[in-house]
Amino acid sequence: MTATEAGSETREEHGPRWLRHHFDSPRQQLDTAKLGMWLFLAQEVLFFGGLFVAYGVNRSWYPEAFSAGSQLLDRSFGTANTVALLTSSLTVALAVRSIQLGRRRLTTVMLALTILLACVFMVNKYFEYAHKFHVGYLPGAHFAPTELPAGMTSVPYETSTFFSVYFMATGVHGLHVLVGIGVLTWLLVKNVRGAFDARYFWPVDIAALYWHLVDLIWIYLFPLFYLID
Amino acid sequence: MELDTGEGEARAHVAPVRLYLGVFGALLALTLATVAVSYVHLGAFNLAIAAVIATAKASLVVLYFMHLKWDVRFHAVVLLGALLLLGFFLAYTLNDTTYRSEIQPEAGARYDPRTGEWAAGLPEGAGRRVSPVSR
Repeated sequence: MTATEAGSETREEHGPRWLRHHFDSPRQQLDTAKLGMWLFLAQEVLFFGGLFVAYGVNRSWYPEAFSAGSQLLDRSFGTANTVALLTSSLTVALAVRSIQLGRRRLTTVMLALTILLACVFMVNKYFEYAHKFHVGYLPGAHFAPTELPAGMTSVPYETSTFFSVYFMATGVHGLHVLVGIGVLTWLLVKNVRGAFDARYFWPVDIAALYWHLVDLIWIYLFPLFYLID
Repeated sequence: MELDTGEGEARAHVAPVRLYLGVFGALLALTLATVAVSYVHLGAFNLAIAAVIATAKASLVVLYFMHLKWDVRFHAVVLLGALLLLGFFLAYTLNDTTYRSEIQPEAGARYDPRTGEWAAGLPEGAGRRVSPVSR
């Protein structure tokens, strides 16, 4: 192709406004964006991987402390948050489906529900962390319990390590939830303004992939921390 | 249902709502199962069962909610590649940290398996028990 031919293509001929000039077609732009998100998710798996390895090493070293530490966590918080995130995964999947069919209002409702459930997760997390701080279940050298559940008189010293891994893993996951709330809110605002339709549905699709990953990480964190024997 | 409106248009796979609700129901049931089984004392099997259930849940989310079942195959390669590397990371690290004390007890081992004593160089308090302190 000569320079003249390449330059002769005008903006109007290129396609819809949201089609970036360096892509030939909507399909190419979507496929590129989607591959980019999957590569990012692969990176996220490895990013959280370090925390899962830290968990594995310390649990294999201090099984007794991990069992004791798990008993100091509140299963009802963990279970409630699991249900909240699973439900938010459903609602965001339905948000993608409705915008694929061009049903913008339903998409708005589903995105709002997803954000609401994410906020429920964070409020739960706030109360959970606040209680842990209050009773001295803190990471590392700060671990100084002021009370233990009925029937426990002492815990292994390495329970402090359990809480180091617990706060690091759930804290970084919580940050991902906050980022997700931000991204979903941005999409909600754009959708209300009519930015998306059945043809240009995939910003919602791409963001939903990220949100599902946040759910995936929690699916593993929940039994690993809350449900040890 | 495939929404493919023509040449160059974005590919979209639209799954029926019933499928999403079914997957969601299965996810809730598996959550219930993993909580229930944690009350049964099975020793090392508890961790294995929890890992299997979590992986079943993760597979449902990835295949149906994330559309990987109908997606470009290469995306599955990207994800499985990351998981494979995580597997290497975990396996090689655990292979070191679990068995290093049998070879070199002083190199950060928890305790010397030959004497049963706690190894030198551990943080102060290691191996002791902590009782509640009053504020």
